Amino acid sequence: MTVISNNDIARAVYLVSKDKSHSEQVKISIKVVEFLSRKRLLSKSSDILSRLSKIINKAEGRVVARVSSVEKLDHKTKLHISHGLKKRYSAEEVIFQENIDSKLIGGLRIQVNDEIIDTSIKNKIGQLQEHLTKSV
Amino acid sequence: MSNHIVENLKKEIENFSLQLKVEKVGQVMEVFDGIAKVSGLSDIKSSEMVTFAGGQVGVALNLEEDAVGVIVLGEFSKIKEGDEVKATGKILEIPVSDNILGRVVNAIGAPIDGKGAIKADKTYPIEKVAPGVVTRQSVDQPVATGIKAIDAIIPVGRGQRELIIGDRQTGKTALAIDAILNQKGQNMICVYVSIGQKDSKLRKLGARLEAGGAMDYTVIVSAGASEAAAMSYIAPYAGVSIAEYFMDKGKDVLIIYDDLSKHAVAYREISLLLRRPPGREAYPGDVFYLHSRLLERACRRNAKYGGGSITAFPIIETQAGDISAYIPTNVISITDGQIFLETDLFYKGIRPAVNVGSSVSRVGSSAQIKAMKKVAGTLKLDLAQFRELEAFSQFGSDLDESTKKQLERGKRSVEVLKQLQYAPVKTEHQVVVFYALTKGFMDDVPVERIKEFEAGLIEYSERNAKVFYKEITDTKMWTEKGEAELKKAIEDFKTSFQK
Repeated sequence: MTVISNNDIARAVYLVSKDKSHSEQVKISIKVVEFLSRKRLLSKSSDILSRLSKIINKAEGRVVARVSSVEKLDHKTKLHISHGLKKRYSAEEVIFQENIDSKLIGGLRIQVNDEIIDTSIKNKIGQLQEHLTKSV
Repeated sequence: MSNHIVENLKKEIENFSLQLKVEKVGQVMEVFDGIAKVSGLSDIKSSEMVTFAGGQVGVALNLEEDAVGVIVLGEFSKIKEGDEVKATGKILEIPVSDNILGRVVNAIGAPIDGKGAIKADKTYPIEKVAPGVVTRQSVDQPVATGIKAIDAIIPVGRGQRELIIGDRQTGKTALAIDAILNQKGQNMICVYVSIGQKDSKLRKLGARLEAGGAMDYTVIVSAGASEAAAMSYIAPYAGVSIAEYFMDKGKDVLIIYDDLSKHAVAYREISLLLRRPPGREAYPGDVFYLHSRLLERACRRNAKYGGGSITAFPIIETQAGDISAYIPTNVISITDGQIFLETDLFYKGIRPAVNVGSSVSRVGSSAQIKAMKKVAGTLKLDLAQFRELEAFSQFGSDLDESTKKQLERGKRSVEVLKQLQYAPVKTEHQVVVFYALTKGFMDDVPVERIKEFEAGLIEYSERNAKVFYKEITDTKMWTEKGEAELKKAIEDFKTSFQK
C-alpha cells in the first residue's frame, strides 16, 4: 500500500485550487479541511501548508530568501542580493525574510529552500578553526 | 617553543584561503535511539556523510520523499529538533596512515587508547566496490596461523575468507588472537575489528597482543557494547578500509571481524528503527548483501595492480550449535570455508575445539607448502578413519590388529592436534611433528606422554636435523638427505625418551 505523503496532499491541493476564483478557492479550502479531519491528518496541516507555499512559489517563479545579518540591510544591498538570487534560481521575484543575528559578527547568511550561502564572519572563523585543527 | 607554535599558526592562517560554497542543509524533525529524521537535504546521496550543529557525524541511510533517515555516529542526546544538518557531499571516510599501527581506534577512526591524535594524511571511504576479477589473482600463499589443526587440515591462503564459527566460549576469539600472534615476522599487517564486545574483553585482548609484541603490526577497531548500534554497523567497513590502505601499499593484511552475528544484530536494530520491513528472524532483506559486500573486499590482488592481499577471518557465534540459523548459513555461503568449534570437544579437553571433520577450506590447500601437504594428507586420512572406527569399536570388543593400530594412531593424532592458547607453533616444527606422527614414530609412545614427546622432539630435532629445517625454510620441501637426517634424529630422540 502506498502511503500518502504530505507533499502529495499539498500538490493535490495546489492542482485543485489552481486557476480558480476566490469563492471557489474558499469552498475548496473547506473541503480540504474536511478531508484532513476525516483522514485524521489535521496535525500535519502546518507541514502541508509550508509544502503548499513552496509549490506555489516554485510555480509562480518566486523564491523566499531568509537573510540573516548583523544589521538591517539597506536597499542597495537588497537589490544586489535580489539580482543574484534571481539569476541563480531563475526566479522572477525574491521575497526577503530578514533576520537580525548578532552572532554572525559580520557578513550575510542567505538561505533559499535547503541551500545556504554563508558569508558570515562566524562561518569563516569556523572554517579557519577546522583548517587549523586539521593541519597543525 | 611557543614562538614556533605562533609562527606555525601564522603561516597556516596566511595560507588559508576561504572558499565560498553553497551548502545543502536540512532540519532535524525527530531524534530517537541514534536515528535522526531530517527534512530538506534534497540532493543527498545514500551513505553520504552529514554533520549536525553540535559537530556530530551522521550517515544518510534512508532517502524518503519527505525526509532523510540518518544514523548518528556518536552522542545523539544533544541533538535537538530543529537543529541544522549539513550535507558534506562525501561518502563517510576515515583517516588512515601508517601511524595507525599499534593503535586502538573507534568505528570512525578516532583514537580511543589515550595515546594522542593519529596524524593522517589520507582518508579512505568506508564503502567501496570490491576489487574486480581482472585485478585479482588466485590464492597461492599460505597464512601461517601457528595452529596445528588449521595449518595442517584446514589451511588458509592469503586472500581467503575463512569463517570461524561456534557457540559461545568455544575459543573463537582465542583462535583469531593466536593467528595474530603468529604473524610476527611473517610480513603481515593485522586488523582486529571488535563489534559489540565488552570493553573489559577488549582491554584484556589488547594487553595480550601488546605482551606478545603483536601490536607493532596490528590495529584494533572497536565498537563497544555501550556504543550506539550505528558504530557497530560501521566498524567492520572501517576495518576493511584500513586493511585496504595497507593492501594498496602492496602489503598482506589479515582482518578479523569479531563477530558478524553482533554486526547483523546491530544492522537489524538500525533497520527496524528506520522502519524498513523485517524479514526472516526480523533481519532486513539486505542482510546478505551487508556481509557479502564486506567479505568480497577480501582478495589477493595481482602484481599488475599493486599486489597485496586481505585475508578475512569473520567470526560467527551460533546458539546451541545451530548452524542452520539465518546469519550462519548466509556467512557460510559467502566464505571460502569454515572452522567449526564445538562445545563438546572443548569440554572433552580437545583445544582448540576444532571439529576437523566438518571444517573445510575451499581454496587454502593450493596455498599449503609442499612439505605440509605431504604430511597433512596422511593425517587427514588417519583422522577420518579414526572417527569412523571410534564409533564402530564401541559395539564390539574383538578388533583385528590393523583396526586397533588405526585407533591408536587416531588417538595420537587427536593428542598432537591439541594446543595451548597463545602458543602458536612454527610451520617447520609442525612438519616435524606431523612427520613423526604419520610415519608411525609415535605409535608406541603412550598417549598421555605425546605432548611431552612433541615438545622434546621439536627441541632435539632443531639441534640435530639442521639440514632438514634449512630445506623446509628454503625450498618448502625436504630431500632424501634431509629426511634421512630427520629420521635419525627422531629415532635417537625416541631412544633417549623411552629410557
